[in-house]
Amino acid sequence: MAIVKMKKLRLMAVRSARDELLRELLRRGCVEVSEPAELQDEAFSSLLRRENGELMAARSQQQALQNALSILGRYAPAKSALLSPKPEVAGEKLLDEETFRLALDTAESLRESSDRIRRIGAEESRLRSTIESLRPWAALDLPLECAETRSCAVTLGAMPLRADPAKAEEALTAAAEEAELFPVSADKSQRYLLLLSRKEQTNDALDALRAFGFAPLAFAGMSGTAQENIDRAESELRALAEEKTACEQAIVDRAGERDALKLACDAAETRIGLAETEDRLCGTESVVLLQGWMPAERENELKEVFERFGCAWETEDPPEEEYPEVPVQLKNNKFTNALNMVTNMYSLPAYGTVDPNPLMAPFFILFFGLMMADMGYGLIMIAAAIVAMAKMKPEGGSRVFCQLLLYGGIATFAMGALTGGFFSDIPYQIVHLLNPNSTWPGLWHLFSPETDSTMVLYGSMVLGVLHLNTGMAVSFVQKWKAGNKGDAIFEEGSLWVILVGAILFALDLLLVHSQVLHVIALAVLILGAAALLFGAGRHAKGFGKVTAAFGCIYNTATGWFGDVLSYSRIMALMLAGGVVGKVFNTVAVMPAQNSGVNVFTVLAFLIIFLLGHAMNFALNLLGCYVHDLRLQCLEFFGKFYVDGGKPFRPLRYSGNYVKAK
Amino acid sequence: MNFIESFGGMALALLGAALAAALACVGSAKGTGIAGEAGAGLVSEDPSKSGKVMILQVIPGTQGLYGFVIFFLAYLKISGAGTAIDVAHGLQIVSACLPIAIGGLLSAIAQGKVAAASVNILAKKPDDWSKGMIMCIVVEFYAILCLLASFLMLNAINF
Repeated sequence: MAIVKMKKLRLMAVRSARDELLRELLRRGCVEVSEPAELQDEAFSSLLRRENGELMAARSQQQALQNALSILGRYAPAKSALLSPKPEVAGEKLLDEETFRLALDTAESLRESSDRIRRIGAEESRLRSTIESLRPWAALDLPLECAETRSCAVTLGAMPLRADPAKAEEALTAAAEEAELFPVSADKSQRYLLLLSRKEQTNDALDALRAFGFAPLAFAGMSGTAQENIDRAESELRALAEEKTACEQAIVDRAGERDALKLACDAAETRIGLAETEDRLCGTESVVLLQGWMPAERENELKEVFERFGCAWETEDPPEEEYPEVPVQLKNNKFTNALNMVTNMYSLPAYGTVDPNPLMAPFFILFFGLMMADMGYGLIMIAAAIVAMAKMKPEGGSRVFCQLLLYGGIATFAMGALTGGFFSDIPYQIVHLLNPNSTWPGLWHLFSPETDSTMVLYGSMVLGVLHLNTGMAVSFVQKWKAGNKGDAIFEEGSLWVILVGAILFALDLLLVHSQVLHVIALAVLILGAAALLFGAGRHAKGFGKVTAAFGCIYNTATGWFGDVLSYSRIMALMLAGGVVGKVFNTVAVMPAQNSGVNVFTVLAFLIIFLLGHAMNFALNLLGCYVHDLRLQCLEFFGKFYVDGGKPFRPLRYSGNYVKAK
Repeated sequence: MNFIESFGGMALALLGAALAAALACVGSAKGTGIAGEAGAGLVSEDPSKSGKVMILQVIPGTQGLYGFVIFFLAYLKISGAGTAIDVAHGLQIVSACLPIAIGGLLSAIAQGKVAAASVNILAKKPDDWSKGMIMCIVVEFYAILCLLASFLMLNAINF
């Protein structure tokens, strides 16, 4: 229910015990190793040298394994069962050299196959373009390497289709009398021609033909006729295709090793963590020095480990000036744990401040329920969360998500019961469809966002005032505890006095109408305002007091006005979800209303109903989460939250694919 | 004058309903179009992301839906009243339809741009793509407010 108390750990171990000790710490997963402070001290740094882990190697191994997995995913996609839990393995298995080496071999051979396939692809497209360029010359029975005879030059070339061949020939005869053009073939844009000319006239002939767009083509390095070359390329293509299939098959054959690769991926990740930790150690010939953080509550457990390894060690509570360095871990019960998702997304609280989760949990879940407010949607969320938790047995982030979904679902259902929403107003629509004369007014509701929208709007803002005051109370307590009693009284206390005055004033205006109350309310308001102004000017000097006071009035007034109005989104989202759902329901029953209940109209109803509500549900789920988040992170946190905590990242087994025990 | 008095109300009311549906749908078409263009680029590189791209693309599609919701409610009101809508009521319906017509049009385009930018997040940092989705939903809120404004006004009109 709070931020876990951390202790600073300093430890010395004999070098021979180093690896075993690190493995033990890895298994326990509760020590974060930090940079040793001693290295900055000159007296020490001359004695100590840094340890070296094999970080680079571990990183490249991890890359190779990840790559191998994605190759397998491409050629042999696994139909993974949705919502299946991660397999459990023993921690030792993750560090087993033999298994790891085998997996690396597999990864290497997968990489080779995949590289070969890529090269084959490049080769294939080269061959195909060669074939394409030779195709027009397939009918020519002259070897391509034959460029000349004793006295004649042979030129192959292409001329655009739109050039008139008769005129070209005329021009050619005029320029080089004995030259001749032979048509070979033509396609949609070009005519392919063979030009025979005496060697000395070749240039003239080409000049004459250039005016008609004739461009000579050369086939360097080819021997035999075009058709022979095409045949050769095609047989090469066939061979390549066979080899490609073989390579792909080789990859598919290795699909059975996917799990081993996944295990090795986590193993590599674990090795990276281990290597990073080793990098942060320093030592002498025979001794290794380790500095880090550990949760105070695990001290006894670790004491036993350290003694077993014969370490010299000490722990201390971090002094306040070191708080920014202390890593933060939140410890929460089942209910408030769900809010970790929100806190982690925003930023962890600074060490030594308040864990916001327990304070936020009731509000977050209540607001979410109010915004969704539909029994049908609530049931879907509850069912989804329960199924996911039972099947996936999620850990960490996804577990938190399921919990949040579950509590949000319960709140949505409860608020749906209060507002009479079940997939908006589907019971009402169906009853009135079956019996048009029915006078049933729909499900019971305490309040309905459509008919009591003003009341719901005010209610949302009242909730907002409560929410904001909770934040202020936390801030008040924090300041009080830290000894800033004056700040607490003048900043939060004066606002409470004003709030009491405002409530009295509202009572007088709306309900009681008494002169005495009016005066008391005004007096309280003025007292509060005076305290606020005095508080604002307290630390300023001279004229600064006046500007500080004005600044304070402005900030307090606009800030509070904006903050409280912001809670109107609760009403807005509650109403919008209901209205959109209602319109879908109305459209869905329309066919049945117009042409009676039969197979087609029931089908139409189901399709419109399901599609419409699926969309409305998805949008609402996302929208309510985001807007609830905003109310917490902007309005609520703004009142007290100190962020900037560094997350606690102890040395532990990585669990992306498997669950190490 | 007489003609406008007898038929103008109905025409104005229908104009309002038409604007709500048409402008909001134009906005959504543009918004999903912008997001779709960006998404198609990513899918051409990495087809496995098409599912997520699709989600980002449909987010600016909701304004059209909201426009349709208001169109539908206005239409029900008009058909309930028959031809007896006077000019004053016709003008009221046009005014009630304006928030979602204008707000839907502009917010969908703005949201489409955010969705297109979020496709970049999906391309470069696939793990953080949900943050892009959240940015899109922030724009959505103003479309929802427009929907509510139109809805509340329409509800307040009685013949």
